[in-house]
Parts: sequence; C-alpha cells; structure tokens
Amino acid sequence: MTVATAKLPSATGYSLAFATPLAAFFVLFFVAPLLLLLVVSFYTSPELKGFGLDQYAKVATDGFTLPVLFDTLWLGVQTTLLCLVLGYALAWCYVRSPGSVQRVLMIAILMPLLTSVVVRTFAWVVILGRQGIVNAVLLDLHWIQEPLKLLYTRHGLIVVLANVQLPLMALPLITALQKLDPNLEDASAALGAGALRTFWRITLPLTVPGILAGCLLTFSASITAFISQSLIGGGQMLFMPMYIYQQASSLQNWPFAAAISLVFLVAVLGCVSLFNLVGRLSQRHATAA
Amino acid sequence: MTLPLSRRNVLGSALTLGAMQLFPGISRAQARKLVFATFTGSWEEAHRAVLVPAFKKATGQDVLLDPMLSVDQIAKVTAARNNPPIDVMLHDPGPALAAVAQGLVEPFPHAQSANYKDLIPEAQDPNGPAMFFQVVGITYNPEKIKTPPTSWADLFKPEYKGRVGITNLNSTLGTGFLVELARMHGGSEGNVEEGFKAIERLKPNLAAVAANPGALAALFQQGQIDISPGNFNAIQLLKARGVPVEFVAPKEGAIAFRTQIEIVKNTPHKELAAKLIEVALSPEVQTRLMQAPYLVVPTNSKVKLDGEIARVLVKDVAEMKKKFVFQDWAKINEHRAAWIDRFNREIKL
Repeated sequence: MTVATAKLPSATGYSLAFATPLAAFFVLFFVAPLLLLLVVSFYTSPELKGFGLDQYAKVATDGFTLPVLFDTLWLGVQTTLLCLVLGYALAWCYVRSPGSVQRVLMIAILMPLLTSVVVRTFAWVVILGRQGIVNAVLLDLHWIQEPLKLLYTRHGLIVVLANVQLPLMALPLITALQKLDPNLEDASAALGAGALRTFWRITLPLTVPGILAGCLLTFSASITAFISQSLIGGGQMLFMPMYIYQQASSLQNWPFAAAISLVFLVAVLGCVSLFNLVGRLSQRHATAA
Repeated sequence: MTLPLSRRNVLGSALTLGAMQLFPGISRAQARKLVFATFTGSWEEAHRAVLVPAFKKATGQDVLLDPMLSVDQIAKVTAARNNPPIDVMLHDPGPALAAVAQGLVEPFPHAQSANYKDLIPEAQDPNGPAMFFQVVGITYNPEKIKTPPTSWADLFKPEYKGRVGITNLNSTLGTGFLVELARMHGGSEGNVEEGFKAIERLKPNLAAVAANPGALAALFQQGQIDISPGNFNAIQLLKARGVPVEFVAPKEGAIAFRTQIEIVKNTPHKELAAKLIEVALSPEVQTRLMQAPYLVVPTNSKVKLDGEIARVLVKDVAEMKKKFVFQDWAKINEHRAAWIDRFNREIKL
C-alpha cells in the first residue's frame, strides 16, 4: 500500500510538474517582457538615457494622465453593469429553457466569440451610423426628424462594448445558475417568499461567484478593447489603450508609454482585488444570513 | 534506386524541418532576400505589381515586401540595429526624419545615381529620396454637397454643421491639416496656435474626429460625414468601390507629403538596396505607377503626367511646385509631441 503510493502519483493529489511547460512559457513571454517594460519606464528621456522616476512624476503631476485612467476604469464599470443586467437576464432565460431552445441560445451566445472583434465592431459602425439601421428605423417611424448621433458617442461605445463582451458575462453566469439547486428556490417559495424575495435572498447570493467571474472578465476586456474604443469612440475620446499606443508608436516615447502601461496595470490589479474582496464579503454575508 | 525511408531518416528530416519552422533564422541568416517594408493596402499591391518585377528585370534578384506602418518599421529596426530584419524602409516625412535622427539610416549613394538628379528638388534628399508624393486635399460626397468646395475655409461653412470629419494628430494627415490651418491664419510649422483656434471654431461642424485616416475614409461609406481633409490615393480606393466621393485640391494648394525611401543602416544588402531605390526612382516605374489603377503621384520630372492625376491635381511636374504645399517636417517634429498632448486635452466634442 505504502509502496504503491510512493511510486504512483495520487489520483486526487496535484503536482506542479504538469504546470512547468506553461510556467516556462509565461516566464519567457510574459514575465521577461514585463520586467523589460519596468526597466524602460525608469528611463528619464525618450532617447533612453538616464535613470530616474521622472516618468512616474509626470504621470502623477501632468493633470491629464490620471483623469484618462479613471475615465477608462469608469468606462469599464459602466460597461460591466450594463453587461451584468443583460447577461443575467440572458443566463436566466437560458437555464429555464427547454433543451432545444438552449442549443439555439448557446449558438447565439457563442457566435460573437467565433467572429473577429474587428468584424463585430464594424457591424456596429453600420448599425449606429447616420444612415444606419437604428436611425433608418426611427426615421421611418417618424419618431425623429434628424438622424441621431450614435456613433462616436460614449453611450454608443458602452452599448457596443457590452455587446462585444456579453459572452464573457453570460457563460460564467449560466454555469453558476446551472449549479444552483432548484429545490432551494422551491423551498423558498413553499415557505412563502415571493419571486423577488427568493431572487434577492437565494438566487443572487448563490450566484455571486459567477457574477464575479463574469464581471472580472468583462471589466478587463472592455477597458483594454483598443479596436472597439477607437472605432466607435473615435479620435476625440481618449482611453488608456489608445493613449499608450499614441505615446509608444506615434511619439516613440517608450519610457512614458511604459510608465503609463504599468500604472494602468496596477490600477486594474487594484480593481480586481477590490472585486474579489467584495465577493468574499458578500459570500460571508450570504452564508451568515 | 530505393529511397532509404527508414524511421530514423524520416524522423531526422521531420525534426530539421520543424526546427527550420521554429527558428527561421537558421536558414535565413545564410541567404536572406532583400526586404522592402512598404505600406499596407493599395501601396503594397502597386509595388508588388510594378516595382518587384522591375527590380527582378534590372538585377535578376527577388525583393520581399513586408508591408507595415512607418512607426512599426522604426520599432523593428530599433529592436535589432545590428542585424535589421528590413533593408529598405518607406516613410512619411515625420518618421523619415525621426529614423535619420535615431541613426537608423544609411545615406543613399546619390552621386552614383542616374535618376536622382531628375527628381524635382523637393523630392531630393541624400538620406532618402522621395519615391512618390501623397497629396492631401478636400474629400466630399458629391451627392450631398452640390457645389464643390474650393478652399479649406469651406469646411467652416455653417451649412456643414455636424457634417465634417477630421483625424487626430497621430497621423501625418491630421498633423499636416493642423499646420495648414495655422498657415492660413498667419501661423507656421513652428507656431500652430492659430491652427488650434481654427479647430476650436470648427467644432460645431465636426461630426467625427477619427482615430486614423482609414477610419475617417470608412465614415464616408456610412454617411457619417460628407466633407473632410483626405488623401488623394485613399479616395481613389473608395471611389473604386462605388462610394460617392470626390477629391479637390483647395485653392490654397494641396498638402504634399514626400514619401521617402531609405536604406537601413547595417543592412547586409547595401548595394541591392540602393539598386531598388534607383529602380523606384526611374521614370519607367514611376510612369507605370502613375497610371490607373495605382494613381501614385510621381517625383521624377521626366514622367509625363496624364489621367486622373493630370485631371484633378497637376498638369505637369513644373506645376507641382506651384500647386503643392510642402511643409517643414523637421520643424513639425520638434513640436509634434507637445501638439498631440494639447490636442488630447483640448479637442473633446
């Protein structure tokens, strides 16, 4: 018995050995470039001369970078909230539908993931344009006299981002809702709770892990969505990805681009930790209640 | 004779092939072909159809096209200065000067060149002569705008409220347009204060500030904008696809950007690279590139202009000097970072 366990890996245990290929890959292609980025961010001039904290001082004091950063994070929050509302409703429908409908719904949810982001975003340019589908319908119904400006607006951008990222929200929510024991909701109803009360007290708290996973994915994908942000938001709305691109590529100011990339990274990590903290607290609250 | 197709042989060959796939440097280091980083899209098509065969005919050698943006060319060469993956670069005027300033450019041996002296003076530059001009004028939708515009000032007309598009300063087009607005109001390459004020006045008319010229062109297709500054060649592409757009050179003169072709420092193919440039400057190649469907504006004074270019731009090379506005990009480059910063802060719609 003891001989056997010594020779064979335990079926339920884990070994880090299996993770080494991926780990090596990450060290080579992620950690090393990241360290390089860190080094570059400490150069004081675009010609890569002199070391110091000049770039970070500029970030803190130029009165422009930090507002762009917070605006980008705020865009992420707005998109995530819209995505959560749409995604939860979708996941709810999915879980409660019969098998055949589920298959159709799943194809509909996955289809955007199988299409390139560029194609999806261009489709939205066609939908939201002055002669686009939305404006054409509204004009035909005589609800508006002049085409509305939808493209190149923040509202338009939020709707597009929410659509593009919706699968990232819907899939974890579906998993979470499927794991939910329907007996719990029945029990809640049998004990006299209304549908709304059951949702708030039972369904929502028990699907918090799915909500968190979905929010994290949507949030990080929408704040870094360079293509959608520049095509739908346009050149007058500046978010971090375009700002970094502009500094690195158009201006060849690598140290500043590296510094704002790292500040952006740290800010995003901060948001992610905040999400996790909220998740842990709410779960503790749910189990206590 | 039978092939010795043993398992060991097959495995050995497979591994070698695999290694060559994984590390192409092994084989390429010995016999890399001349690599020319042209621009993407219609430029690549034109160069593949005209320049590559002409070079093959002149030298018996092949040239590989590796199309990418100017800034990416500079980044790639900077990352491997001693063993650059590109031999010949193609740049808008801003990046062309930046590449020289960063020591990435080997001067073109123009004394030995037969074609260099035939270039119009504005195209001559020992660091990298211009192989063509890009011309920026006014693009408009003739179905919506019945009277063709004649001046940059027309963009400010109140009837175009919410119909005008521009790009931000990331592009040569956007920066050149800002400088031109400044010059109209007494500014210069060194002082674009008036240009920023003009854009401020243009705001009620602006429907879009596109992130790049490509996105700006797409907005004509969607009817999002009806008039904008635009690149002559980008407009030809749209026209060919049936989009209702027309190009006019404004009476102040169309903005001309010289597109410079530069030899990369430390290239293993210095002679061939110079030869490619020589071919690119030749009247034969430039004449072919000027004709439809390419419509590339030539720089060699021996090219006889005709077709669409003669119709909407200039009748002959002598007229270029009168009708084209060449901007001082050395001056512009000094200030461009500050302007982009200012544009970021001020131009919000």
